[in-house]
Amino acid sequence: MTTLHERAELLSKLGLDVQNKAALGQVLGTGRIEQATETAGGRMRATIRIRPDEISWDPSILVMPHGGDIELELINDDLNTHCALLPSNGDRKFIWLVNHSKGRATLNLDGPGYYWFSSPTGNDEGRGLTGAIVVLGEVPPEARLDRPDQPRP
Amino acid sequence: MTVEYVDAGEAIDQARLSGKVAGGDVAPPVVRGVDYERIRNAASEPQNWLTYYGAYNGQRYSPLDQINTENVKRLGPAWIFQAGMTGLIAGASTYSFEAAPIVVDGVMFLSGWDGWVWALDAKTGTEIWRYKHAVPFDVSLCCGNVNRGVAVAAGKVFFVTANAHVLALDATTGKRVWDKTYGDVRAGESATVAPLVVKNKVIVGSSGGEFGVRGHLDAFDLETGEHQWRCYTVPKPGEPGSETWPADGEAWARGGANCRVTGTFDPETNLLYVGTGNPAPDFDGAVREGDNLYTDSIIAVDVDAGQIRWHYQCTPHDVWDYDSIGECILFESDGRKLLGHFDKNGYFFVVDRTDGALVQITPFVDRIDWGAITRDGKVTPRRYPDKEGDPVHFWPGPAGAKEWTHAAYSPKTGLFYVPVQDVGATATRRRREFKESIPYWGAGVAVDLEDMTGSVSAFDANGDEKWRWRNELPMCASVLATGGDLVFAGEPSGEFNALDARTGDLLWQFQCGSGHHSSPTTYMVDGRQYVAVPVGWGGWAEGFLPGMLGAGHGSALIVFALPE
Repeated sequence: MTTLHERAELLSKLGLDVQNKAALGQVLGTGRIEQATETAGGRMRATIRIRPDEISWDPSILVMPHGGDIELELINDDLNTHCALLPSNGDRKFIWLVNHSKGRATLNLDGPGYYWFSSPTGNDEGRGLTGAIVVLGEVPPEARLDRPDQPRP
Repeated sequence: MTVEYVDAGEAIDQARLSGKVAGGDVAPPVVRGVDYERIRNAASEPQNWLTYYGAYNGQRYSPLDQINTENVKRLGPAWIFQAGMTGLIAGASTYSFEAAPIVVDGVMFLSGWDGWVWALDAKTGTEIWRYKHAVPFDVSLCCGNVNRGVAVAAGKVFFVTANAHVLALDATTGKRVWDKTYGDVRAGESATVAPLVVKNKVIVGSSGGEFGVRGHLDAFDLETGEHQWRCYTVPKPGEPGSETWPADGEAWARGGANCRVTGTFDPETNLLYVGTGNPAPDFDGAVREGDNLYTDSIIAVDVDAGQIRWHYQCTPHDVWDYDSIGECILFESDGRKLLGHFDKNGYFFVVDRTDGALVQITPFVDRIDWGAITRDGKVTPRRYPDKEGDPVHFWPGPAGAKEWTHAAYSPKTGLFYVPVQDVGATATRRRREFKESIPYWGAGVAVDLEDMTGSVSAFDANGDEKWRWRNELPMCASVLATGGDLVFAGEPSGEFNALDARTGDLLWQFQCGSGHHSSPTTYMVDGRQYVAVPVGWGGWAEGFLPGMLGAGHGSALIVFALPE
């Protein structure tokens, strides 16, 4: 059995925590996971970074407690230019992130479920700059089936 | 020393980076005047394709005749819209371009897969606006990331998303007006249907029949999105039809009968005619003894009350996955108001649409060995998965002799034109415990990779076959009939064909570069007739034609016209 600590150690030992060591890029889903914050008023916020030479979103998995609007701060600390294409109802949101830049995005997501976001330039998406936004929760009560509660996995 | 970050600003809509000119992203208000009366009389404005089937009767017939048997050989592409696919999307390998393009006074409204809707200039193909709904990557989809089209009325465009939302968009800007959730993705529900507008309602059905859900239709107010009614297609204990489910247990609660294909409507009977899906689990009938109403049925639903008035069940106690979701084509013959329905089980049913009384039944595919239905409607099952682990081969396979893709009816020729899939399958019963959102088939299924064929076949209302255009591969796309005595039909291998509606002769063909699994439509702008066909192979190909699973996926709308 691998603990969280062991997972990080093993990723590092194998060279899966940076680009061009084990694989060519960083394998998707090997970065950190973080929860968005929520104010008393229900606004959700999070910061997502690209750290130098890591070619990964940090966090690479962002968890929203429920569907709705989220404000993101996007920071590129890397020494190369990237961008972000993010899921949102209405249209996907796009932003250029030149070296050492900081921008913002406001997304509207339904959930439950998860969505991918990425940096669609070069092969950033394959090198590691593909991340996930997970939205927790249930559908509204009026959308649920009229039947007894059923078993889930 | 701290260096200040460069301000990258605020993320923008991706559509702003698509070459639009100022003001070019607003469509003329052509949908503002589209109301119930116009849709009801859609045949009086053949330049438009106002509703999913072209008209409430589901005939998929246009009286336009500029393109006809004499000149169709000169038909060529007028423009192409390339939607493309970027990023990681749900069902990235199974998406398909299945829509029926809607056209109103020179503007086309079109849905793609994964939450895309576009407004296009119907004359040039130029994108006016786009809407993209964010669809969860992990949504449960039995049969690909697909959507069958939009509806328009009252200045709005209505469509559903794979995560079971129904939305109204402003038809001029593509901006969201209202958004309602009508299915539970945690239960395995999804949505793929093209909505139908009737009176002040937009009507949608649920998908998810392979996940053990309880099927339903829903109606919402056009203007506000307020929920009007829900009609479950599997009765609760004590309700009419519940006696066809086991008295103990919860088989009914997982019973299926989804309405994933658009219904038809008769304003005189005030009834919606909807085909319902398979029972669940698809192939394990022992856990749901009985006829399992209203699965595999044609149901007539009072559009005001949302209640089932009559039903006709095509495959009682189905254990072959023979949904009856196929269209219900409304027509008249000898003064009778009739309904024609080509079922997955291989039979062509004609019933009286006032009361559901059977008029005639005829097989429309050569190989049927799952069972037999007599002309008076008696069903005798013969080959079906029964014993655990025992493989059983049967024809037609679970995609049916015709999948959801539509037949057409020409009132000019009096003939029905049906795309036929003649392919079998082997199912081996494997019982499994039910859990929400996990496929609930009750079998392992392998559709034949060889020994298959297809056709476009023409039948009259008596069930007599008048001609057959044969194809080596099953035909897996909707056909379109026109006043030019043409039947348009796309092939899985990419060819788009025009057949003579009276003889079945192949008159014209164009290789579109990807297989067809959509519903072509036709319209006219500035006196020029166009034929539009979304092209993008995919969907449940492992079900209807696994022999083409390796074919390339496309994502183009190709629009044809005669030379100017």
